[in-house]
Amino acid sequence: MAFPLPRGIVASEIAFLAEMETVTVVPRQRLEGLELLGGPIEPLVPPRRASLPLWLALLLKRQRRANIIPPSWLHPESLSLILEVESQHQDYKNAFSPPPPLPGQPSVRDQGLEPTARPQYTLDGNRYYAAPPFLPQNTAQTTVSSGEPPALPFHWIEVGNMLLDSASDDLMDPGQIRRLLKDLREVRMAKMRSGVDVLDDAAMGGGGVALTGVGAMELGDERGFLSGVVDGLRKIGASKEQARREQLAEQRANGGYNGTQDEEEDYMEF
Amino acid sequence: MSYYDIDSILTDAQKLPCTFELEVPGLGILEGNPGDDIKAGTRIDLPLWLGEMLSIGARLGTSRLVTLDMPDALAERVMNALKADPRTVDLRALAPHFYTLSERILEIFEEEEMVDVLINTFKKRAAEISDHAHNPRGAVGDGVDFLRGLDETERQLFRAAHDRAKQVRIWAGEAKKK
Repeated sequence: MAFPLPRGIVASEIAFLAEMETVTVVPRQRLEGLELLGGPIEPLVPPRRASLPLWLALLLKRQRRANIIPPSWLHPESLSLILEVESQHQDYKNAFSPPPPLPGQPSVRDQGLEPTARPQYTLDGNRYYAAPPFLPQNTAQTTVSSGEPPALPFHWIEVGNMLLDSASDDLMDPGQIRRLLKDLREVRMAKMRSGVDVLDDAAMGGGGVALTGVGAMELGDERGFLSGVVDGLRKIGASKEQARREQLAEQRANGGYNGTQDEEEDYMEF
Repeated sequence: MSYYDIDSILTDAQKLPCTFELEVPGLGILEGNPGDDIKAGTRIDLPLWLGEMLSIGARLGTSRLVTLDMPDALAERVMNALKADPRTVDLRALAPHFYTLSERILEIFEEEEMVDVLINTFKKRAAEISDHAHNPRGAVGDGVDFLRGLDETERQLFRAAHDRAKQVRIWAGEAKKK
């Protein structure tokens, strides 16, 4: 109770985690490959692009040993496109713009296709499916499939802010980017706030609230508030929930239970 | 609700109007007349924990000692005001622990409509709290009247939202530390 930090992780910790994201750099000096605990770093040879963790890239940038190539979403054009989708598109009036597609996932254009996840293999030969924190979402891809709309990655606020702070000369029109990031954040915060109205579905009756596409910093920002609201709603609605359960148990006892009810109740929208 | 939760202890101490059904000898101390008896039909405000205990006979089906009434904070009048506009009601003046009190009350009484009204109130006010919490000037400005009327649960919400927003601003370099 006397523990001074709030539940969850604080802003600086989220930013720390974001520093593990991989970014693309163009080195200006040679550097031997490094064997680090977090994984090997490829050797840097000046004209060739390399992928480094953000913390190392920023360090080299500050020492003027490398230039960072900004990810494709951190560009005034992409950002204003996302902002437009976020604020004007009918489908996304109450939802957040979609996150970058997972490997093997059909793009927004050809919806209706079955997603076919492409497995990857560990060194031991075990199969696994990479998930967002471990996918390179901030590298400057050379093979951008054209027609793929830009999307905000999980750590967009952190990466955007850090690059603006330390590598603004590598970005195209940093002032504009800063403005757009701020606008995006405000639009999305307003959506988060209007989402309070549907939170009671989450508190009772086994419903769910879709948080697809919400960034790490946004989650950290709203965690304390949203979980508090859900908790409050759950407590107030406890007696109603009790009555509902009793009713359900009665139905079950009377044989009116058809077995599919539970599946519907537990359905969550992802 | 933990045993050491100060808010739940304070909720227990809130007064509830009770009517004695039986004559109790020697309990006049509750009315302020030590040594006297309490007559049947006397109305006294008792703390929640005591009233709950004394009325337990009602649930067991035996003759009960007291009957409980709705506290003033959850009276019909208040419910109507909350139905009209949840944001203008000063919950703190009604009861400092309004929501925790109503939780306990709803455990005792079955009031379907009251649950709906309270849930709606909580949602509407939570949205408003979130707005105020993200205001960089904090609890000063236009919202002072509203924020003064928050009950204890809502204050904790406000604090959580406000501290988080401040942290993020400090991290982003928009605000100074402390």
